[in-house]
Amino acid sequence: MDDLILIGPELAVLITGLAVLLLDLWAPPSQRKTIGYAAAAVLGVVFLGTFAFLLPEPRMAFGGMLVLDELALFFKRFFLLAAGLVLILAVEFSDRLKAGESEYFALILFALAGMMFAASANDFSILFVALELVTIAFYVLASFQRHRTRSLEAGVKYLILGALASGFLVYGIALVFGLSGTMNFTRLAQAPEAVLSSPLFELGLLLVFVGLGFKIAAVPFHIWAADVYEGAPAPTTAFLAVGSKAAGMVLLLRVLHGAVPALVDRAQPVLMVVAALTILYGVLCAIPQQNLKRLLGYSSIASAGYLLVGVAALNAAGLSAVLYYLAGYLFTVLAAFLVIALAFPNVDSEEIGALAGLHERAPLLAAALALALVSLAGVPPLAGFFGKFLLLKAALAAAGGTPGLYWLLGVAIVGVVISLAYYFGVIRTMYWEPHPPTSPSSPSSPSPPCLAVPTPMRVALWLCIAGMLWLGVMPGSILNLTDLAVQSLAPAVPVP
Amino acid sequence: MGTQLAQYVPVLMLAGVAVVFTGAMLGLSVLLGKRGRRTQVKDTAYECGMIPVGEGTARLSVKFYLVAMLFILFDIAVVFLYPWAVVFRRLVAEPGMAGPVFFGMLGFLGIVLVGYLYAWRKRGLDWRG
Repeated sequence: MDDLILIGPELAVLITGLAVLLLDLWAPPSQRKTIGYAAAAVLGVVFLGTFAFLLPEPRMAFGGMLVLDELALFFKRFFLLAAGLVLILAVEFSDRLKAGESEYFALILFALAGMMFAASANDFSILFVALELVTIAFYVLASFQRHRTRSLEAGVKYLILGALASGFLVYGIALVFGLSGTMNFTRLAQAPEAVLSSPLFELGLLLVFVGLGFKIAAVPFHIWAADVYEGAPAPTTAFLAVGSKAAGMVLLLRVLHGAVPALVDRAQPVLMVVAALTILYGVLCAIPQQNLKRLLGYSSIASAGYLLVGVAALNAAGLSAVLYYLAGYLFTVLAAFLVIALAFPNVDSEEIGALAGLHERAPLLAAALALALVSLAGVPPLAGFFGKFLLLKAALAAAGGTPGLYWLLGVAIVGVVISLAYYFGVIRTMYWEPHPPTSPSSPSSPSPPCLAVPTPMRVALWLCIAGMLWLGVMPGSILNLTDLAVQSLAPAVPVP
Repeated sequence: MGTQLAQYVPVLMLAGVAVVFTGAMLGLSVLLGKRGRRTQVKDTAYECGMIPVGEGTARLSVKFYLVAMLFILFDIAVVFLYPWAVVFRRLVAEPGMAGPVFFGMLGFLGIVLVGYLYAWRKRGLDWRG
């Protein structure tokens, strides 16, 4: 019974998902939006409910397969908040889905349950099942607009490459299990030195890293990202960028510091090289992009690189900065996608040029997108600035022992500078380019049509803006939480 | 090499035997076998003595696909009941296991039931729908 209480939030989410499916069977089609809003409200209640967990020390459930510690709670709240906002976005977007609106909401909830289980994973079997729950839901979510070829293309690409990544992951897990005889992270941490130093064991961990690298879209496992981000419906892309990436990150942290703390030093060169490549690739490929969602796709690849800088620093400050960066990323990216869903009513033209003159048609949308892009670029006093600052600071603190980190720092700073160019290009288009004529026949339309912002979207947008500003202006409050979460990860992480 | 991996040596041996055996069979038949005369009749596909007529790929209604998918879903779900029923009596006798064993399966069946209701209300079981 105690076990069930510990996975209470996940159970609540799963039951909500099933309830959405069942309600849809009897409710009239006009009530579908109400179902979506109700599901978002339930997620809000579950989010508040997670604060009822008081954890003086980590608690295990189901024979040590799941662990509930501060890190798990931090990520569960993160996922619940993200999914709530994505659901509001999905309700707004549901008119463009043509069929299966409630199924879309239910799949978001099931993916959320997978992410929440991933946050608690303390066993390779749970890691795999949780990741598959997330990934399989996303296969469907990505291809949900069946009438659009782009959406189908995104779904098929994600399916094929996702299946390949799952294959790598399973093979890696099999090697780790074959050599050590256990899949449990706690027991793996106590594995004898003879097992840990075996090259096959390292190969197994490397393959696990390939599978997780696919989820966070790190180079060279990023090939799917840009196409899927561009083709998938906006709520799917938003959830993919925020939730799926964070799920990959928390699992990477759990495997590195929970399962094989003795091998972390040997993993550091790999992490540094991957981080540097990821930052450079994401930043350089983003420059020529014309499609805003594709631009954000490359920006998300670059963000994965910055997150890996914090992981490669191998100190508590770095891990704390990773969590902080993700929290800021949540508000920033969701603000951008809320605007994308509203500013591009016609899904087939998500070109940046179509945003010209947005500040006249919808000042709130233009302001929110501008703030989000400025935050992504890393300009104070927004959340993105402090995230990058903390990541680089942690890497600098650790660089004394590993000179390679200086190179990584250099790459990261070059990446920040380059990224300013394309983020500010979008802002220039919104504010300083005139609105194009609405139709060729009437080139002199006096006032372009104003974009309406429905109230729930308005609330969600203000929440994201407040989150970006709050995290940037008062980073201390959230840093307490991230420090607490990192402490529970492993006492092995050296505190500088 | 851990003892865990050593357990799989028979599997590796079986894989080796399979490769060598199939390779030998195919190779020997090429080396030793006699080539027969080829005629047009001999080259037609063998369909139990019938003369093949029409396209090789017949068109099927997409409804079969749906029915097959539902069948596999519910069939596999029900397969889980058999091992559960076999060990049920022994597991329930153990202290503290009665609740998890019984309600665990009820929860599983509940999820299957939601799927069934969904398929039914969406007219997935309705052939003419």
